[in-house]
Amino acid sequence: MKLLVAGLSHKTAPVDLREQLAIPEGTLPRTLQELQKLGASEAVVLSTCNRVEFALSSPDDVEPGSIIDRFFADWRGSGLSGAFDGHLYRLEAREAIQHMFRVAASLDSMVVGEPQILGQLKAAYAVAKSEGTVGGLLETVMTKAFNVAKRVRSETGIGQMAVSVSYAAVELARQIFGSLKGHTVLIIGSGKMGELAAKHLRRSGANRILVTNRTWERAEEMAKTFDGRAVEYSQFQSILHEVDIVISSSGAPHYILTRDDMQRVIRQRRNKPIFLIDIAVPRNIDPAVNEIEGVILKDVDGLEGVVSANIQERTRQAEAAEKIVLEEVDRTMAKLRVEEIAPTIVSLQGQLEEIRAAEVIRTLRRMPGLTAEQVAQIEIMTKSIVNKIAHGPISELRRNAGQPEGSVVIEAIRRVFRIE
Amino acid sequence: MGESSVIWLRVAAGLYSLGLIDAVITVLRRSASLFRIALGAFAIGALFQLVSIVEQGLAQGQCPVTDIFETMSFCAFIITVSFLAIYYRYKAASLSVFIFPLVFVMTLVGALRSPVSTWTNPSIRNAWLITHIVFALLGYAALLFTAAAAVVYLVQERQLKRKTSNAIYKMLPPLGTLDELISKSLGAGFAFITIGIVIGSIWAFVEMGTRWIGESSIAISFVTWAVYLALVFFRVSAGWRGRKTAILSIVALLCCLLTWVEHAKLGRFSQ
Repeated sequence: MKLLVAGLSHKTAPVDLREQLAIPEGTLPRTLQELQKLGASEAVVLSTCNRVEFALSSPDDVEPGSIIDRFFADWRGSGLSGAFDGHLYRLEAREAIQHMFRVAASLDSMVVGEPQILGQLKAAYAVAKSEGTVGGLLETVMTKAFNVAKRVRSETGIGQMAVSVSYAAVELARQIFGSLKGHTVLIIGSGKMGELAAKHLRRSGANRILVTNRTWERAEEMAKTFDGRAVEYSQFQSILHEVDIVISSSGAPHYILTRDDMQRVIRQRRNKPIFLIDIAVPRNIDPAVNEIEGVILKDVDGLEGVVSANIQERTRQAEAAEKIVLEEVDRTMAKLRVEEIAPTIVSLQGQLEEIRAAEVIRTLRRMPGLTAEQVAQIEIMTKSIVNKIAHGPISELRRNAGQPEGSVVIEAIRRVFRIE
Repeated sequence: MGESSVIWLRVAAGLYSLGLIDAVITVLRRSASLFRIALGAFAIGALFQLVSIVEQGLAQGQCPVTDIFETMSFCAFIITVSFLAIYYRYKAASLSVFIFPLVFVMTLVGALRSPVSTWTNPSIRNAWLITHIVFALLGYAALLFTAAAAVVYLVQERQLKRKTSNAIYKMLPPLGTLDELISKSLGAGFAFITIGIVIGSIWAFVEMGTRWIGESSIAISFVTWAVYLALVFFRVSAGWRGRKTAILSIVALLCCLLTWVEHAKLGRFSQ
């Protein structure tokens, strides 16, 4: 079986490319079916705001890379596939396993250690399971990935330090306003992270939520979930002075809040502090507003900094987590290889037994006068000869399974014993 | 110096004191609930002051600005009338936080001019003096809190703005809490200091007659009070926070220190 992970993430591709490839939840089953039709034995698709990834396994004689090539070519027309060149990554075998473990353990996240990714991965797995596109190598690796994530979380402090952007936002807001009760939050745009942050702020006491969006319907819909009020996008600047916390995650390609805007707002607020959270990529708010007295601006990196108050400690925890991942990758690879050599051992034993049995029958035919006891002795003797011969290669196979140079030895043994 | 004109002036000062109470409430509670009443009292007080000034002027046959007391009263009257006019035209209510206490103290100084008989009882004199000292010290203590909170506010804001933050900000109180503390301690401190200065002025007036106004320690007390007043004013009307509040509250604190040093020299009076 061959394993492949292909896709793009916040590390390799900007938001606008990720958006184009993003697969809405509703079409996930169809995508999985399609991958299987193209020749994949198993397939799992993970699509979040920070990554779109395809994990698949294929029989040994099928190259999984060619499946994904055909998938991209078929999918959404060939005009699109060119745009992703240089942003897509492809990982196979051991590297694919390591990548999946790192993603599950939130080591590859934008905010390292945030717990949401594991849930997203489990959801992706559940969809694949219900569509029947897992049940073999990929399933083994994925369930292992969930265990690795659990182990990393319990054995390192990575989870406590970086819970998520929303956690950091609440933490900082508390440090600015004291109690959040009676404070007003404005959400600009409809990013998932912005929504989560707003939810946390609301749970922490901020009871007035305003939502604005270029699309009025979307703003209204989101306002409903927060029990808040929708604001016309063209009007939001004029109510900004009533707002204490702004969460911006709009897709605007330019700054929607400038230094002049904020200077006016802070004057209207009579210098009362205002907290701006810019989680959009590219950023929505001019970083220069942070220089204005009373304006506290944080972008995703800044929030991350809040959670990881101690950078060194954070690095140490991440290193420990990476070590766990590597350890688990080695263990999984070894286990997979043991599974791989099992057929070799069986055929080796089968072949030797076949030779032995045939030779015993031939000998007994030539010696008809033997007693039952003598026949039994011959059986025992030949079996023990065969076992002693097989012992060497079998223990070599076991010893070399999962070792870096092991496959050479395994191949040699297969050839020596003429195992097909 | 006409006796009745002083009495009118004292009535005016009494009415103006309502304005002072309003200012303190505004700072502490951030609500101007007493403003209407204080404004009315202010207008009536201005009438009494006018009567006092006219009477004094008629008695002297010239504009009554011949000594510091008359000048103070005259000045206070002009400020009052100007404020009423500005308020009528622009509804600039926030100015009252500054104007009300200022006019009250100036008028009070003006009213403390004709000598009264000295202390009838030394124990009253001492009690009066102790009250003055206690209020002044309470005011200083409150100002100390204000200044400390203002500096911490400044530090905290810097910490929160930093891109790569260290854990310092977690050890400091939230900005909101500090802001609350600054408002409360500033309002309380201002009330204490004002009461202290009023009691102190009256004491000095009884003790020294008209000579009291020339004392350097008293002059410096008024300067300190004026800085305090400015701090309160900018805070309430312009919403000063952060660097400006920190600087001005430290200036006020230094003034308090100077006043204290000057008063230490004044120790001879209490003996």
